[in-house]
Amino acid sequence: MLKCNINGVDLEVPEGTKLIEAFLKAEQKIAHYCWHPGLSVAGVCRLCMCEIEGNPRLQIACNTEVQEGMVASNQSEKVKETVRWGMDFHLINHPLDCPICDQAGECGLQEQYMEYGQYTPSMAHAKVKKRKVVSLGSKVVLDSERCILCSRCVRFTDEVTKTHELGIFNRGDKSEIGTFHDKPLENKYAVNTVDICPVGALTSKEFRFKQRVWYLKDEKTVCPGCSTGCSVKVYHNQEGLFRVKPEYDAEVNEHWMCDEGRGVFDWVNRQNRQSYSVNAENMEKPSSSELKLILTAQQTVEEYESLFEYLKSSNKKVEVYYWKNNPDKFDDFDNLLIRGDKNPNTKGLLETAVKHDITLNPFSGFDGFESFEGDIWFILPENKAVYPLYEQYVEKALKLENNLTIFAVPKVKVDKTKKNISILPLKTYFEKDGHFLNFNGLKRQLKPGPLQVSSALALNEWVSFVKSDDFGDQVDLLSKRKSEGFRKKNEMTQTGGGL
Amino acid sequence: MSVEVKRKDQNQSWLLPSVLSGMSLTFGKMWGNLFNRKKMPTLNYPEEKYEYGPRFKGNHVLTVKKDGSLRCTACMLCATNCPADCITIIASEHDNEEVEKFPIHYEIDILRCVFCGFCEEACPVDAIRMGPEWQSPALNGGSFVYDIRHLAFRSELRGGIESRLDDAERHKAGI
Ligand code: SF4
Ligand code: SF4
Ligand code: SF4
Ligand code: SF4
Ligand code: FES
Repeated sequence: MLKCNINGVDLEVPEGTKLIEAFLKAEQKIAHYCWHPGLSVAGVCRLCMCEIEGNPRLQIACNTEVQEGMVASNQSEKVKETVRWGMDFHLINHPLDCPICDQAGECGLQEQYMEYGQYTPSMAHAKVKKRKVVSLGSKVVLDSERCILCSRCVRFTDEVTKTHELGIFNRGDKSEIGTFHDKPLENKYAVNTVDICPVGALTSKEFRFKQRVWYLKDEKTVCPGCSTGCSVKVYHNQEGLFRVKPEYDAEVNEHWMCDEGRGVFDWVNRQNRQSYSVNAENMEKPSSSELKLILTAQQTVEEYESLFEYLKSSNKKVEVYYWKNNPDKFDDFDNLLIRGDKNPNTKGLLETAVKHDITLNPFSGFDGFESFEGDIWFILPENKAVYPLYEQYVEKALKLENNLTIFAVPKVKVDKTKKNISILPLKTYFEKDGHFLNFNGLKRQLKPGPLQVSSALALNEWVSFVKSDDFGDQVDLLSKRKSEGFRKKNEMTQTGGGL
Repeated sequence: MSVEVKRKDQNQSWLLPSVLSGMSLTFGKMWGNLFNRKKMPTLNYPEEKYEYGPRFKGNHVLTVKKDGSLRCTACMLCATNCPADCITIIASEHDNEEVEKFPIHYEIDILRCVFCGFCEEACPVDAIRMGPEWQSPALNGGSFVYDIRHLAFRSELRGGIESRLDDAERHKAGI
């Protein structure tokens, strides 16, 4: 450990720490663009200036390692003046695009200008015009005028994905970001460049112009896209969910996430959901003493716990079937984040099943169910996109003559005159409490966000309904909810236009 | 707490003088207006209408560019600033990369509007102004939600009001 003093704050940092990290650790403000904790040091933006005792020249904090007894500060007028001029140089050719720019509201340039801006521009010449709205592949759009050439995006493709698509071309004020031979930027992590771009030079095609960022709230949760279980932030408002960004998690995803995971918010939105229950009263009828249950590894550990406890305590003859979407690809891994097992909680399911002594039979369609007379519970996966046989199985299930209960997040089209089928809406990962165990058994907690569908319940809540004696009352309550808009108050109403 | 009850003024108990003074005022004004109509302070609305000054904050106008397209860049600053929450904008990608972003849907619910003028003040490009019109009759509630067609191209505007700030000029000046 090395002792140092930053702006008068004494602290100890491990050897090899950069001065900028010491500044941030001491909770001192320091201007910076090109330095990113997940990437190598470039030292190109020249904003992280600081004064080191014994050194007559100002130094950049991102490329200076802390030495024993170092005394550094960035409070003097000299440093502030330098940063102000550095900032002004960045703005020489910057367009005044903020009203159109998607980054406005979370822009590094805007934020740091408020702090370190020159406010009286001294540039007398016309701005250099560069390419605007350049499509870099199917996910990212580039605006070269807004780029401040911090090279974060280039370093990301060089160091993290190692795909080397991006580069800086030309020299001087003609420098521009681009791809070699205009080959598209098509890797599975491309949208991370949008996150790390400190300005609005790189924007995401999916999110572009959908919302202004100040209309969005974020909620920290876990990505249910695969068994890696990246920590993410989901951005939402009263109109629904709009985007997903990674959240720093040292043990799992560090600063990054994959592009596929950014699309997994869509099924949470109300328009794609089963929003009411069908024939819920079926659940209280004295039903047969045999039960077949089909489940996937997309529920939380808490839900499996309560489900298995119920199955054990009821004196029914139960058979549990485990529906695996792509068993042959379960162990795939791309050496960065993406895993072939597209379920967030496979480990949790297997461990809970062992704990409750439940045998999981492989599920491979409804063949062999013809002679079966008892009840069937079918718990559908939330992320139906990764279940290639989803439509086929649901269609088959809806033809069954058994007393069938479907727990569903996505919409299920059912003939309401068929009294043997009941459909119960489920909550999604964004709305429920509980935790997932990721591929190596790390526990990742979900936080309940605002409910998108008022009648949805988590599986454990449904099970406690089924267990309780007054299920009939509860069903009444549910239908009341539907008709009277019960619980509307704490639900986000999706009327649209309420910006 | 005790409340002191004021005794009635002796004069007030005499009804007739008050009635007569009221009547004389009424009839005085009536004769005055009948024989000296120029000095009459009221208007014969709706045949006669009062012209407000150009700074009057009445119904909104969306300005247009030289080529007649909407000036609005769909930045949503007006909607953010609006205290009555009555502006709805849906933005979209424009074919022209110089324009980049424009509103495909812009609505003001004029019944919710409090005519504060904050939208006009927030707009960075002089795309929304509040004009001198203040009468907005309509036959049903839906007609009080003004869309782009009404806000920018209603017949009273005779083809649209041109914005003071044009991007083409800004680019030419190298800003
Ligand atoms: S990058 Fe930042 S400063 Fe530049 S136009 Fe966009 S929001 Fe404005
Ligand atoms: S595009 Fe963004 S991340 Fe890349 S160099 Fe320019 S400013 Fe930096
Ligand atoms: S005048 Fe005020 S209330 Fe009316 S639209 Fe503008 S900001 Fe909203
Ligand atoms: S009217 Fe002005 S403030 Fe409102 S969205 Fe259009 S450009 Fe922005
Ligand atoms: S952050 Fe140090 S030079 Fe850019």
